[in-house]
Amino acid sequence: MKRALAGTVAVAFGCALGACAGGTDGGESGSIARGTIGYSAMTLKNPFFKIVADSLTAEAERHGFDVVVTDAERDVNRQSQQVDNFLASGVAAIVLNPVDRIAIGPAVRRANEAGVPVFTSDLQAVAEGVEIAGHVGTDNYQGGLLAGEAMIEALGEAGGEVLVLHFKQANSCVLRVDGFRHAIAEYNRDRTEGRIEIVAELEGGGLRDEGYRAMADGIQAYPDLAGVFAINDPSALGARTALEQAGRADQVRIVGFDGEIAGREAIRDGKIYADPIQYPDRMGVMTVQNIVSYLDGEDFERVHLIPTELYRQADAEQDPTLD
Amino acid sequence: MPEGVGESAAGRWRRKLLDLLGRNLSVVVLALLCLISSVATWREQNPITSRSGGAVARQVLEACQTTCSVLVVARDTEADRVFAQAIEQGLDSAGARIAGRVFGQPRDVRLEVERIAAAGGSLDAIATHRIASEWGPVRTAGVPVFSPGSYHWPTFLTARNLLNVVNQNADIAIIALGMTLVILTAGIDLSVGSLLALAGVIAAVAAQEWFGGAAASPVGLLAAMLLGVGAAALGGLLSGTMVTAFRVPPFVATLGLMMLARGLALILAVGHQRRLVGGGAEGTPEAVRVDAAAFAWLGNGAVLGVPNPIVLMLVLFVAAHLLMTRTMFGRYVYAVGGNVEAARLSGVPVTAVLLAVYCLCGAFAGLAGIVDASRFEGGRPNAGELYELQVIAAVVVGGASLAGGRGRIAGTLIGAMIIAVIQNGLNIAGVASYEQKVVFGALILAAVLLDRLQPRLRRFRRKSL
Repeated sequence: MKRALAGTVAVAFGCALGACAGGTDGGESGSIARGTIGYSAMTLKNPFFKIVADSLTAEAERHGFDVVVTDAERDVNRQSQQVDNFLASGVAAIVLNPVDRIAIGPAVRRANEAGVPVFTSDLQAVAEGVEIAGHVGTDNYQGGLLAGEAMIEALGEAGGEVLVLHFKQANSCVLRVDGFRHAIAEYNRDRTEGRIEIVAELEGGGLRDEGYRAMADGIQAYPDLAGVFAINDPSALGARTALEQAGRADQVRIVGFDGEIAGREAIRDGKIYADPIQYPDRMGVMTVQNIVSYLDGEDFERVHLIPTELYRQADAEQDPTLD
Repeated sequence: MPEGVGESAAGRWRRKLLDLLGRNLSVVVLALLCLISSVATWREQNPITSRSGGAVARQVLEACQTTCSVLVVARDTEADRVFAQAIEQGLDSAGARIAGRVFGQPRDVRLEVERIAAAGGSLDAIATHRIASEWGPVRTAGVPVFSPGSYHWPTFLTARNLLNVVNQNADIAIIALGMTLVILTAGIDLSVGSLLALAGVIAAVAAQEWFGGAAASPVGLLAAMLLGVGAAALGGLLSGTMVTAFRVPPFVATLGLMMLARGLALILAVGHQRRLVGGGAEGTPEAVRVDAAAFAWLGNGAVLGVPNPIVLMLVLFVAAHLLMTRTMFGRYVYAVGGNVEAARLSGVPVTAVLLAVYCLCGAFAGLAGIVDASRFEGGRPNAGELYELQVIAAVVVGGASLAGGRGRIAGTLIGAMIIAVIQNGLNIAGVASYEQKVVFGALILAAVLLDRLQPRLRRFRRKSL
């Protein structure tokens, strides 16, 4: 009986291992020439990183690499364990979206000591003494400036009170809000009428449910709101739900960020005014191209920031990827 | 009927074996898991050692005797340098010419090849390891490339990986010690993950703001760490007080502390970040960075090649084992868990024992927090989320009964290692964390089921014998 139970556990474990052999780890046969790339995503629950993972995998396989995709689930401890596991299994290169730009430092240093190049995308690591072979990310400050322009456009000459739904843990979002504030400050300069006032920054968690709760509170605290800047699409969509429930959807204009499918659909339907859009697919592809350049000994741009572009309703109506 | 009478020799052996298996089931499971992990991670291994370097040198000499000039390529790591040195020694002693050497990246190889060509030098062969033999400039240099042969071996069973397995889970194992004591008294402690974060943040903030930051002395850093552990122990004492003086169920008391401690850790971290940027802007809940390099020793240093967290874990396990098996306190803990009323009536200081147990559990969580903060060179307010569940899983899988009174420290060590091996085996084999959760859940259910079935099993075995 006891042995049967032990057997059950072992079989369950074996099954899970077997499942992987058919799935993520299909290239184990050794037929792939150029080695394995280990990728640790910040969280695959956000579609953004899923697109990075998919485009990275497709491009890497085209170049003859095998890719192991892991999910750090926003936990830097898990992420650095994943780095250690990559090192133990002898990968050719490591790609990270650093969960914590400081605390990931020691893990990157261990990779440096083992001679395995580390590439980052999205967030940049800023820990001291770490060597990052290449970085591809969004120019978040420029995106914040565009978001500010979109807000100015949406509110028109009337101006008004604006709320920010923030996610402070991510430095990328801090840069977005910095850019947004800068654009608004430039607009307000020399202006006495129709000014835009940023009345508060609330924590929207970058998630739909938290964005919803923060917006519901924000409506109570600031009844005269004219606009909301949410630092990504999930929190923008949460804010929209809160505004609709309060019957204030027509009064308050929303500017989001990202350009995920759900966000672009909302822009098409007039629920969100505009998004500075990011290009996660380009991030995956360019990261692989950097790895190839590195291994081929060619020079390449060590830090590449992809500018965002503003996406409005008119763009959504011509977007072939929306149906 | 006395056992063994009228039994055949084969039957006796079978019974003994069954008995041994039954008593050490968790060890059997652990061994089985190691075996499965080894099979699943059977991969090609590429040696980078002094010996494989010598082998490459012999390959080169066999192919072109001593007449050729060779470029030696390696990365800028310790192992690579040893490997390259062995190649050079092998070539040197036979009188071959070394055209150049590269310790670096693919780009450095390209530049070196270009330099040799520009200087009009000849290049007849490249000697390197398997990894660098895939580099573009090595493949396109137009000369034969020599690298050591590979062999097959389980990646799981490499020294580096085995140390990884234990090191990555040393914090879980350390907390599991304290949790074992709590569970032995039929209690539970949900606050350990939050206390871990609180201890780490307090130690980091104290080191940065009170003990000199980058210039902090080892004594100052030690004081900062003790402050963190002390705060966590105090948290445990608070739970203990709620449980003993006010009869609050442990589940509820520690649930409250779990949120309280997490909130405090976040407030402290954000407050520190705000002071860093001059007080104006609001801080972010990122890790509180510790600038003193010595702070990282506990988490990232090693003694004789064994990472410090493992050493600390082993020392604590021996101490806890002695505490529970050789002292009056240990007997008291078992007595309280077995039957509180009986213990009280026979003169066991129940309240004091419970207070001490929760306090110790908090202190162990605090120690794990110090290890975590040291490992990441800073206190992370979000550290240790959901650790309580992993820790409880380790204790239960290690054979302790949630009803109290039954369980061993050694069992907990095995339990923690079972969890560690499952995690590592699945990680290395590339299984997504979602499937891992399913395996963990199944394992915990199986362990609890086994606990429930124990009396029935015993009856069953007696009957069958």
